[in-house]
Amino acid sequence: MQMKKLSAAAIGAVLAVTGVGAYAHHSFATEFDRNRPIRLEGKVVMFEWVNPHSWIHIDVERNGSTERWRIEGGAPSALLRRGWNRNSLPAGTDIIVDAFQARDGDTRASAAEIRFPNGRELSLGNPTTEAVAAARRRAQN
Amino acid sequence: MRALTRLATVATAAVAMATLPAAPALADNHESAEMDRIGDHPDLNGVWQVMNGANWNVEPHSAGPNPLPQGDRILGAIGAIPADLGVVQGGSIPYNEAAQERLEYNRENVITYDPEAACYLPGIPRATYMPHPFQIVQGDGDDILMVYEYASANRVIHMQEVGIPPIDTWMGTSYGEWDGDTLVVTTLAQGPGLVKLPAGEMVEGVTWIDRAGNYITNNATVTERFTLREGGNHIDYHVTIEDPSILTEPYEMDMVLYRHVEDNAQLLEFKCVPFSEHLLYGDLIEE
Repeated sequence: MQMKKLSAAAIGAVLAVTGVGAYAHHSFATEFDRNRPIRLEGKVVMFEWVNPHSWIHIDVERNGSTERWRIEGGAPSALLRRGWNRNSLPAGTDIIVDAFQARDGDTRASAAEIRFPNGRELSLGNPTTEAVAAARRRAQN
Repeated sequence: MRALTRLATVATAAVAMATLPAAPALADNHESAEMDRIGDHPDLNGVWQVMNGANWNVEPHSAGPNPLPQGDRILGAIGAIPADLGVVQGGSIPYNEAAQERLEYNRENVITYDPEAACYLPGIPRATYMPHPFQIVQGDGDDILMVYEYASANRVIHMQEVGIPPIDTWMGTSYGEWDGDTLVVTTLAQGPGLVKLPAGEMVEGVTWIDRAGNYITNNATVTERFTLREGGNHIDYHVTIEDPSILTEPYEMDMVLYRHVEDNAQLLEFKCVPFSEHLLYGDLIEE
């Protein structure tokens, strides 16, 4: 009996690489406000490689105090495809993020990419947020 | 007369046909003594399961009550631990001094902090000896897929040179090659990262290798050897665990994987996240 050839790419697309288990994925619109962009500059504290979204924890100096912000990125599989690995964002790295704030007022925001002080950009593999950011840029032009 | 002879011949042939054994049906219903092969290699396709108590404790152990006092009281003998001769060669895992603190912490919190209770992914080698079957999907020259009934855990065994996994993951990253008729799989970078415990606390997780709290870290190299026996219904499964951060020396485990030979052998669904809800989030749920 001839076994069907399994393409590794097809398998990879189906399998979960990390994460606890499946639970309902909320939409961007319910959690974040596309009309409340914010620019955050700070030092990376840690990076969470979790599904459905990764999270960058950064310390930002704002309003006279240090605020701990969590920036939502893409899923680990999306990050891996963009060349990310465990050394991509070490603790202590300075980054600049243009993100959309959470609706509930928490120090939480969703971003499409991050920038480093030397100008280099790194995509976060977050498709819905990328679309929102692109729409915003079109509206401003 | 000739017509009768012809009729007799046809009748005899028909009877002979009717008593012929049915053509070998499913590839996973081996009755022959020969090993099936795919290309140059033994055919490991099928549904497999262990028949031992390794998931309770990989070291030899007597039967005993459920480790939780409330489990003991409510479940009685149904929640009790069966005896097992153990799968660890030499009988005990050679932990070093640095391992003791985490080992004590795990042992004090069996069941409650066990990733299995939270429906977290089991890692390797625990996935092999969970009390659930698993399936090996093997093609000719492709990567090999292993699918586990428990929590739909799965892994791709990349049939290429061992590399550096880009990140730690619950199931690690597996690389495979054939050593004669033995499939050798090297798994690296098993790391749960931050793990949520019951009632909210987040701690740095480690991979538990059984319910007794034995564990490995993300520095571990797990090497598995799958050797199909003549007859094709048993796999000799041998594991070497190297983890210099918590062990004084590597150790080995041996067990047999048994093929499910029933006609309807298949994985069923054990999506256990809803079953762990009360354990993990019971403090948040209004009753």
